[in-house]
Amino acid sequence: MEEANQVLFWLGPLAVTSRVTTMWGKILVLTLLSALATRNMKEVPGKLQNVAEMAVGKLQDYYRGTLGEELCKKYFNVFATFFIFIIVSNYSGLLPGMGHLRGMSVPTAGLSVTAGLALCGFFTNHVIGVKERGFKRYFLGVLTSMTVPLFFLAVIEQIVRPFSLALRLYGNLYGEETVTENLYVVFPLLLPLVMQILSLLFCLIQALVFTMLLSIYVREALE
Amino acid sequence: MTSGIIAIAAALCIAVSTIFPSIAQGRTASKAMEAIARQPEAAGDIRSTLILSLGLMEALTIYGLLIAFMLVAKV
Repeated sequence: MEEANQVLFWLGPLAVTSRVTTMWGKILVLTLLSALATRNMKEVPGKLQNVAEMAVGKLQDYYRGTLGEELCKKYFNVFATFFIFIIVSNYSGLLPGMGHLRGMSVPTAGLSVTAGLALCGFFTNHVIGVKERGFKRYFLGVLTSMTVPLFFLAVIEQIVRPFSLALRLYGNLYGEETVTENLYVVFPLLLPLVMQILSLLFCLIQALVFTMLLSIYVREALE
Repeated sequence: MTSGIIAIAAALCIAVSTIFPSIAQGRTASKAMEAIARQPEAAGDIRSTLILSLGLMEALTIYGLLIAFMLVAKV
């Protein structure tokens, strides 16, 4: 774990580790792809634009299912950003050299990154609630919709939610990395491949679970 | 002596924390399969709910795995 998180250089008081540089690389790749896909948009799309349209269409169907029509139209960008960020950084663990080369390290396999994502999700949740209902109505609605003994449980649950989101994502990805390394130590030729095939499925599931939980929390906060 | 106990604790931690979530996941999957068999046109909805529930239950095992990793680092 030490070699995967070396501090590369310092930008003022902030330490830039290999996870941060991987995230920068990922941002560059995604920005490049989006710019290429939306340049000269035609009625009958070319290949890259077609793929991008399919991806966005599928995401919109998925979120319309949990959020409902009007919320989806307004806040689709936020949730789609979460999803694309998490799924691209999960799958970056399958690239050769991840975690061993200097400057390349899976971002979401570090607790700091997933905790940051969970905090962003928490604030997104409440800011959307306040935006939709107004400050007083939102908090009064939350307080009066439950009886007194349930109140403490509900407050505790609200506080625990970002923790569980962060730990779930971090634990899954860090576990995948560690198991792959240990399998490599046992039998270097084909055994790590088994775990990597399994992690194809699990990375996708974890991204889905994170974003679906976020959208369910937002939906529930506005009921 | 303490290093031995910590090793046993780490092994026990991960071993015990996979028992109950796997039982629960098995039950969830079997009910989901019954529901799909009873009503095949709702298969998409049932499948996404199933994946979400499996992810939530998997998290409990992962919490145990994290504690086991932290203990193994102290052996």
